[in-house]
Amino acid sequence: MATAPEIAERHLPDPEWPVAHVFWEGCRVGELRIPRCRDCSRWVWYPASACPGCGGARHEWTRVSGRGRLFTWVRVHRAFLPGYKERVPFVTALVELEEDPRVRLATFLRDAPPGGLRAGLPVEVTFETVNERLTLPMFRCVAGGRSQPEV
Amino acid sequence: MAPAESTRLARRIAIVGIGETRYQRQAARPLMALLLEAARAALADAGLAARDVDGIVAPGTSYAELHELARELGVRAQFFNAAGYSGGAAVVSAPLLAALAVDAGLASTVLCVRGLAWGTERQGNVGQLHAEMPMKAAFEIPFGWYPQIVYFAGMARRHMELYGTTETQLGEVAVAFRRHAALGDNALLRDKPLTLEQYLAEPYLAEPFRASDCCLVNDGAGAFVMVDRERAHDLCQPPVTVLGVGAGVSEEGEFASLRADYLATAAVHSAPRAFAMAGLAPDDVDLVTLYDNFTSMVIQQLEDMGFCRRGEGGPFVAGGRIALGGALPVNPSGGQLAQAFMLSMNNLCETVRQLRGTAGARQVEGADVGLVAGYSGSEHATLLLGRG
Repeated sequence: MATAPEIAERHLPDPEWPVAHVFWEGCRVGELRIPRCRDCSRWVWYPASACPGCGGARHEWTRVSGRGRLFTWVRVHRAFLPGYKERVPFVTALVELEEDPRVRLATFLRDAPPGGLRAGLPVEVTFETVNERLTLPMFRCVAGGRSQPEV
Repeated sequence: MAPAESTRLARRIAIVGIGETRYQRQAARPLMALLLEAARAALADAGLAARDVDGIVAPGTSYAELHELARELGVRAQFFNAAGYSGGAAVVSAPLLAALAVDAGLASTVLCVRGLAWGTERQGNVGQLHAEMPMKAAFEIPFGWYPQIVYFAGMARRHMELYGTTETQLGEVAVAFRRHAALGDNALLRDKPLTLEQYLAEPYLAEPFRASDCCLVNDGAGAFVMVDRERAHDLCQPPVTVLGVGAGVSEEGEFASLRADYLATAAVHSAPRAFAMAGLAPDDVDLVTLYDNFTSMVIQQLEDMGFCRRGEGGPFVAGGRIALGGALPVNPSGGQLAQAFMLSMNNLCETVRQLRGTAGARQVEGADVGLVAGYSGSEHATLLLGRG
């Protein structure tokens, strides 16, 4: 088991992790990719060996539009990891993808509108290069966007 | 609904002894010493000895710790051992394991003991368990979605967006439990009164949460002893009967961020099972002790368990309704927000005291039925206890 300080410092993903390698490769070329079941077309998120819909094992990393809506968010004022000391306060959020709202991604949220955040605000992906090996997908609020009331 | 046959375990066992250490920020003693003290106190409370114990449920202990505990305590029987769920769900579902064992004739006296030394062990790193999950390390932590305070603040925000729940309503939970803590002698925040104005003036940690929305980090241990209900009346204390107990899991597993019904805890499964086993409904309950890791979880569980409808939890906790003297007293010991974070063990012990009628200044008048809730990520357990 890793020691506590090692875990506390670890806040960047390993882009070579085989399970997620294609995700990070996509980010490097400006594509957001999510695994999709070839049998029933359901999105498989997080990556898993079995499709949550049909149990199928054949999944294909598939490019998505990068558009979605704000599901919920947290404005973080205290750095809970040493790597976030320079970032606070920041907004971390869950966004649901246009292709299937059951697919939610955690993200740093950029360009919050002056009127404040609301669930349902439209967002779109933007990519931020960390280093030559790693690019992170972020989401930004789309200017002039209005939240859609939910059922 | 629970399968019909599980009702045979209703009223099968009783809780006859409870024990708790002092709760402290840091105990300056090893966790094993705390576990032993709590276990001995529970046995003494029941008028039983370690040689009577033939069943042990000790969630969180390793192989080595379990056997050190049994040996040091003086357990000499060939003891039944079972481990079930995790965290608070493990403590609160322990009576389910004990009832199964007693009913099957595998054990007659089952000890459940649980302690924590996070005050000493986990300074500044309470999220370690989550950091070790590969999917969270890959897709959540790099984006600031970490640790627990963020997971639950995200749910609280969503609840506010959908239902108009307010920060003042969150504060009502914190203020009520703090007031309860002042009425006991073993609560970490006993001498730290909190008004709603003070709560609202606290800086945010992870909006909408402030420090007083979050559970404590501390050291301590608690234990309780369960026997066949037929035997319970011959022992020292007024027995407290296990009327019903249920456990449930969220279908999506550990990833709260992906839950189809994002605001539902597995209490939506555990509570109907416990109520069905007991043949009771929420209206029959006189007091509840909920898993209060964060203030908003009190609101979510009240909704999930049917004390009010989804979205009505905010108004339900407002106006002192969940404080002692209110319509439904919740967490009279101060709970995990104001007494100690003990994975529901402190809440369970308090519910037993309430049903014995020995809760002193915190006593809920005429308390006949109490509910205890335990949670751990995708798991939830509901326990219904009755006087007599």
